[in-house]
Amino acid sequence: MPAGPVVAVRDVTLTIARGEHAAIRGPSGCGKSTLLHMLGCVDTPSSGTLTFDGRNISALDDRARSLLRLRHIGFVFQRFFLLPMLTAAENVELPQSEAGVPKTERRKRSLELLEYVGLGARADHRPSQLSGGEMQRVAIARALANRPRLLLADEPTGELDQTTGEQVAALLHRVNADGTALVIVTHDTALAARATRVLTMRDGRIEGEVLQ
Amino acid sequence: MTTLPFAWRSLVRQPARSTLGVLGVAAVGALLFDMLLLSEGLVVSMRDLFERMGFDIRIIATDQLPAGSPDIRNASMLASKIAALPTVQSALTIRTEDADFETTVASTNDGSIVGVGEGAPPPWTVLRGRDLRGSHELVLNQHAAETLNVEPGAMVAVRATCAGGSEAPPSLQFRVVGIAELPFEAPEESAAGTTAASLSEACGTPQADIADFVAVTSTGNPDAAAADIAAIGAGLRVFTNEQAIGQLQQGGFTYFRQISTVLSTITISFALLLITVLLTVSVNQRLGEVAALRALGFSRNRVVLDVLCESALIVGIGGVLSLPLGVLMATWLDGILKRMPGIPAELHFFVFEPKALLVHGSLLAATAIIAALYPMRIVARLPIAATLRNEVIS
Repeated sequence: MPAGPVVAVRDVTLTIARGEHAAIRGPSGCGKSTLLHMLGCVDTPSSGTLTFDGRNISALDDRARSLLRLRHIGFVFQRFFLLPMLTAAENVELPQSEAGVPKTERRKRSLELLEYVGLGARADHRPSQLSGGEMQRVAIARALANRPRLLLADEPTGELDQTTGEQVAALLHRVNADGTALVIVTHDTALAARATRVLTMRDGRIEGEVLQ
Repeated sequence: MTTLPFAWRSLVRQPARSTLGVLGVAAVGALLFDMLLLSEGLVVSMRDLFERMGFDIRIIATDQLPAGSPDIRNASMLASKIAALPTVQSALTIRTEDADFETTVASTNDGSIVGVGEGAPPPWTVLRGRDLRGSHELVLNQHAAETLNVEPGAMVAVRATCAGGSEAPPSLQFRVVGIAELPFEAPEESAAGTTAASLSEACGTPQADIADFVAVTSTGNPDAAAADIAAIGAGLRVFTNEQAIGQLQQGGFTYFRQISTVLSTITISFALLLITVLLTVSVNQRLGEVAALRALGFSRNRVVLDVLCESALIVGIGGVLSLPLGVLMATWLDGILKRMPGIPAELHFFVFEPKALLVHGSLLAATAIIAALYPMRIVARLPIAATLRNEVIS
């Protein structure tokens, strides 16, 4: 018999305010990442409405959603996904290049961002020459390249040891403190503890919400 | 980073695989280039040979070209009648027979001798010595002169074997007056040129006035001259150079074109498979990265274009390398094919034409696009969220 549709997220009503720092927690398979992907416009809800800055974005076509992500939303992934053939600075330049930022300007911005994440001296290093924590910091710089208003991080410390994870958590906290709204999906208690709002999910629903 | 440099970096990332792809395209492209040179090579080369002989029109006794047609009787009279036409500058009878050449110390077998009429310069180019002035004079080609070890002034016995001549005519002494390059001479073939009358004597039929064909030079309008000659009504077939080439194209040369078409199709198919497999493997290995780029805001068109550019780079670099490789292969293959007996030294099977380069480039460009279609479809239809999730799980 064919498998029926899997409902990963249901009956969720969620608003992320400007500059907010939210964490989403819950057991594996509860729909955390799917919710994050919906917030980031890489997944589309089968029903309901998704708005960004008061604008309904549920019905946007692929091109418009790509543009929205490029200009307003940054992503940090558990597995970094830095391009191995590019240097750290070039990786940070990529989204700016796609956004049409002139070369000198994007180079300058990339170096500033690498300084911001503490890797100014590693700008010309390739990912293979960086540690896991450094790669994730480059990935954060890349996510910030086009000055997004919302930064989404899916298990950003999932591949890191505790010390390195804490450095990355501190960096994300700083990014949020500098004005970027931050939503983190994490199993990491320490990372979630830095959020001002912690959402707990189970079976696709938001089961609890704690303001810290 | 724009698409092309980005695609270049993606290729350099897997140097071994990319190099294999480029080399594969270079080999296939070289073969394709050679097939394109072969498809028109003989025609172009034959046209060049015809034009270098300096004649516009050929008159033979049958519908079929090339040689092997019946002899033209009363050839000198026909040539005089044709030469008198206002659209004709000159007409020359040409007859070729098999011949052996002998001196007191050396001999050649399986040679040929050309007898030409009067009224127009002969179709050979004298390299040393002088041209014919009287009977029983001979110009030898370089190979015959070297084999017989003779120079202008030497005497050579000619034993001709002629269609319709005496069965075993006695050999006839000729004086070598020049060393010449004869048209349609094959490499390693001894050939000589003399007057039509001297050739008839050598054939043992001194009264015979026959020719294989009459070569005509028009005053500038070959079609008008051909029409005037046909109006003489001698029951002969008149071919301008273009018509003769057309006849050859419809005849034996068709096989080369068919072989070329079949091999071109096969080589292009190999190139398509090679590039498609390489790109598909490459794309499948970095689905996570592609999904991440899409999540970061890269448009679908952009990631599709990246794959297309990778294909274009592999095919482009391989295509450029294929040209010198193709030229080397063509030179080698041409040398092999020209070893076939009876092939004129100046005839080439592989001849470069700008059109071949254009078709080569167009076919490779089409290959790059078609080969990239499937991997482009993979990245275009990539589900971003599902791919990111799968990457984490894997």
